[in-house]
Amino acid sequence: MATRAVEVANGVPGLAPERAVTWPKRTKARLSNGLEVILAEAHSIPKFHGELFFRSGDAAASHRAPGLAEMTATVARTGTTKRASRQIEEDLRRIGADLSSGAGADTSAISFSGLSEFAEPLLDLVNELAREASFPESEFERERRQKLEEIRLERTQPGFLASERLRKVLFGAHPYAQVSPSEAQVAAYKREDLRAVYREFYTPENGLLLLVGDFDSSEMLKMAENVFGKWTGKKPEAPAAAAPAGPRGRRVYLVHVPGAVQTQILAGCHAITRKHPDWVKLGLTNSLYGGAFNSRLVMNIREDKGYTYSPRSSVSPLRQYGYFSVSAAVRNDVVAASLTEIFYEMDKLRSLPVPDPELADAQNYLSGVFSMGLATQDGLLSQLSTVALNELPDDYLETYRQKVRALTPQDLLETARKYLDSTNMQIVVVGDRAKIEEQAALFGELEIYDAQGARL
Amino acid sequence: MKRLQIGIESTKLANGLSVVVAPDTTAPVVTVGVYYKIGFRLEPQGRSGFAHLFEHMMFQGSANAPKMQHIKLVNSSGGMLNGSTSYDVTNYYEAVPSNALERVLWLEADRMRALKVDDENLKNQRDVVKEEVRVNVMNQPYGGFPWLDMPPVAFRNWANAHNFYGDFSDLDAADLADVQAFFKTYYVPNNAVLLMLGDVKAEEGIALAKKYFGEIPAGAAPPFADPSEPEQTEERRGNVEEKFGTLPALAIGYVIPKRRTADWCAMALLDQALHGGRAGRMYRELVLEKQIAVEAGGGIDDLFGYNGPTHMTTRILHKPEYSSDATLQAFDAVIREVRENGISADELEQLKVKWRSDYFATLEGGRGGYMPKYGLMHLLACFTLFDNEPQLVNTILDGFLAVSREEIQAAARKYLQNEKRAIVFRTPVKASAPSSADAKEAA
Repeated sequence: MATRAVEVANGVPGLAPERAVTWPKRTKARLSNGLEVILAEAHSIPKFHGELFFRSGDAAASHRAPGLAEMTATVARTGTTKRASRQIEEDLRRIGADLSSGAGADTSAISFSGLSEFAEPLLDLVNELAREASFPESEFERERRQKLEEIRLERTQPGFLASERLRKVLFGAHPYAQVSPSEAQVAAYKREDLRAVYREFYTPENGLLLLVGDFDSSEMLKMAENVFGKWTGKKPEAPAAAAPAGPRGRRVYLVHVPGAVQTQILAGCHAITRKHPDWVKLGLTNSLYGGAFNSRLVMNIREDKGYTYSPRSSVSPLRQYGYFSVSAAVRNDVVAASLTEIFYEMDKLRSLPVPDPELADAQNYLSGVFSMGLATQDGLLSQLSTVALNELPDDYLETYRQKVRALTPQDLLETARKYLDSTNMQIVVVGDRAKIEEQAALFGELEIYDAQGARL
Repeated sequence: MKRLQIGIESTKLANGLSVVVAPDTTAPVVTVGVYYKIGFRLEPQGRSGFAHLFEHMMFQGSANAPKMQHIKLVNSSGGMLNGSTSYDVTNYYEAVPSNALERVLWLEADRMRALKVDDENLKNQRDVVKEEVRVNVMNQPYGGFPWLDMPPVAFRNWANAHNFYGDFSDLDAADLADVQAFFKTYYVPNNAVLLMLGDVKAEEGIALAKKYFGEIPAGAAPPFADPSEPEQTEERRGNVEEKFGTLPALAIGYVIPKRRTADWCAMALLDQALHGGRAGRMYRELVLEKQIAVEAGGGIDDLFGYNGPTHMTTRILHKPEYSSDATLQAFDAVIREVRENGISADELEQLKVKWRSDYFATLEGGRGGYMPKYGLMHLLACFTLFDNEPQLVNTILDGFLAVSREEIQAAARKYLQNEKRAIVFRTPVKASAPSSADAKEAA
């Protein structure tokens, strides 16, 4: 609903012929113990990046306790049967390496990067952390206390409060509903729980080792076999969870933060995973709607109306279910006006075909940006992990741009109607109740919570 | 030890614009940057936050590319763009498939030549900037801590001490005449460097720079106010209320040597000894060993890009059962240890390997995963604008790798002195914090 006519530029140089994008050759192998390995060479700097994934995360540990996979990953890097915490940190620095460990809903991972000349000692340490973590009692107690402070801090961040509420609303009783454990749940963690998760999840059959960087693939593969080959362990059974029902009808959830000088809006609905055949279509539709700077939503509520600094929409693909969401932190007095525009742009995409030039612009954007993953070692690693963890076809990187370019206005209209589900969007607003309650109530039945999650 | 040699070609056009090209055919992508040697430190008095507001205006329209067109033309070429304002430079950058190189150069040249903005654009971006300040500072726990809290406590020269994001009254007071005057003064080719990195040949890049930028007239040499500080002879303290967070926090800043002076390399390695991740002394002592703090980190913010008084800053969020005094004493013990005993030969060796590794990562590194070569661009820009020597990118590492234990201890003794530091306490208003006695001592 732009109020000014958009002027065009004069004398813009045309685009030169496109250069071919050549993705590096991937070496895929399975070690004798079942560990899947994918390597790609990238010689931009004398370093390499790696990630050892396990295909189980917080969702698979949730029957024991929420957040337990994350806690397990955190404590796993604090001690092994051979090295104490301080030794681990100094040894990493000695070889110029960085390492972190963590877990999301669907995976646990040890991520690392370092100088190629020290590849072997770094892989040795990763192997040790994956197989021989000792979970020292004192480190566990320290990390648990640390976690308690972190989750108290999260509850003061508008962005966290919004995403926490949206996930609860969208996923109900499913493990995906809880993005962070409660204080009581963290207080109840037992060291033995962590060890059980570690034994179960951290196995070669459940693993995927990705290595990208300045090395010779065949030598690196031999090194991986030497370092990781003797490790054994089965794939864990994934606990079943009932499918979440997508909530019907618009509802509004207000999280009350007294004194907030701005309102965080986050609205979402169920969508699809990366494996779904509509994924690329939804990616392009999202890019047009609010996924790019040049998108309709950004041009409307930022560049035309000045309601917000950072509006954006995204598709979040968890392994089993995905969701579409749109967010903006807006001035308190334009909460209703912003939501009106958010829905206006959604409904417009659901009603009218996208004009051809706008579609072409969005196709160029998405395919251009996709190729930038090629330019850095960690960018390439991230593309490769997306393909491998979602079990996408081997030629996914090579064919993605073609798939984007083949889409038509009709495809986007159908996609928007299916997945930009404006009548069933769940709306979360985080802000000061006194300033925004009336505005929020215009958009659906209202539930009000405090920052601790209690219904008011 | 493997080295990394970056191929660089550079020149200066007749109008004073520096041009640097760093070809690399790893991907069919080119990153283009334009850096202007003006940041928020030397923005006009009475106009706090103006350099950053102005940066937003550079996306609002130029002579031949009206509002929305800069963003639209870059995105629709398959690229990303952004800009940022820091202490002493402001940058604008795009990463695009290399077939869009000429288009991006045309856009950057068009807005270097002439801005075309109106009151409606200014009002719009003033609103956007206010929401940016709210989302990053006013509505966030520990927002602006310590980068906005420290300057007014630590410094006496307005250039270093003012609110860099801007008081809202100053943002409201800014008008189009300010925009055009700032543009005319600082956004001249002789105060800028153009960079092209990635899939572009050196001679092609330089020829294109001449084609698109060569005709832009040079301006008068911009005036730069003196940012130097009067000699500091006493510890300075201040208090800021924390509205949302529940943990007490403090930040300690020490003034560091001017960049590229004799002590600079030693100070940088000392900073890593203290703040280099989980192996760094601050995190190890305060978080892992004594377990007083939940977070303890920080350091020198932009080692290669500052051109005025700057701090090495430690940021600490601590558990409420420890007082601010007890926390500060634990911090002081770390400082005392390095002043009295320096660091071991083994620690120095570790620091140097890590430094080399981090430096390579900086050169390759993108921003947000999708702005390839951002780090190399930034270094080349700073070495050109401040040193007139982009080739430093290939030699600067040697100075850091040559630092001795004695130099590090000498730097600790010289720069880590109480009377050269400033401390900001960020004190929660909510209950779980202990009542702080420090408020009474605050300057």
